[in-house]
Amino acid sequence: RRQLSEGEHPGVTLFRQYLRIRTVQPEPKYDEAVLFLEKIAKDLGLECQKVEVAPGRVVTILTWQGTDPSLRSLVLNSHTDVVPVFEEHWNHDPFEAFKDTQGNIYARGAQDMKCVGIQYLEAVRRLKAEGKCFPRTIHLTFVPDEETGGHQGMELFVKRPEFQALRAGFALDEGLASPTETFTVFYSERSPWWLHVTSSGN
Amino acid sequence: AVDDSNPWWTEFSRVCREMNLSIKPEIFSAATDSRFLRAAGVPALGFSPMNRTPVLLHDHNEFLNEAVFLRGIDIYARLLPALASMPALHNEC
Ligand SMILES: [Zn+2]
Repeated sequence: RRQLSEGEHPGVTLFRQYLRIRTVQPEPKYDEAVLFLEKIAKDLGLECQKVEVAPGRVVTILTWQGTDPSLRSLVLNSHTDVVPVFEEHWNHDPFEAFKDTQGNIYARGAQDMKCVGIQYLEAVRRLKAEGKCFPRTIHLTFVPDEETGGHQGMELFVKRPEFQALRAGFALDEGLASPTETFTVFYSERSPWWLHVTSSGN
Repeated sequence: AVDDSNPWWTEFSRVCREMNLSIKPEIFSAATDSRFLRAAGVPALGFSPMNRTPVLLHDHNEFLNEAVFLRGIDIYARLLPALASMPALHNEC
């Protein structure tokens, strides 16, 4: 049974619990995040696999098996780390997940991207509760170290046999907030391209 | 490509139309983990269901409204069945 805040949607309560885990760079508390995800996997009846791609850098994979194993899977990816804070510039503790009277939840990771990780899980929870199942397997991958370039996270994970075994056919990953009514969807991205220019003057 | 040559995009945008969501395809200006997925041959879309929300990632006072968050769950609860029910594609076996 999930712990509920008074009158709050349980998905919001779970989101705020995740926001309170200090997976903040440069020393994210990844162990706590992995434990948190393992507990949710158990609660939802999802298989849970852990792949340590580098020391202390664990990719957690929650799996909902599809009915047709010949089809490639759907991968729902999110990163568990968040960028550092300058706490003196915050109106609320960035790891308290304070919710104001308008329902705004303040926290490092509220947008980037703990919201998405929990939304995937809550959507799966709802669909499972409705008794649904689908031909394609759904894998939820929770990866470390995106904010430092993914070099100890996704970059290593895609080279692992455990990644090949997912047989990914398509993936969803993070986008950005949009201030207007319209949602933005990113279909590609600029490659990081650092140019070192030496000017010798005249 | 975001046209009908990409069946995943076709399905994604169809569900958004059904839900009356207005979506705008863009190229991400920064690097995310998607680049490793795409390099490994997995097509990927970058989507965080946050509209009516100021862009505050990496900023002070980053926040998300709970109503926007909850609507995001509704959106995924429609997208996942459609994407996970995508019929076999010609390059799949
Ligand atoms: Zn991010």
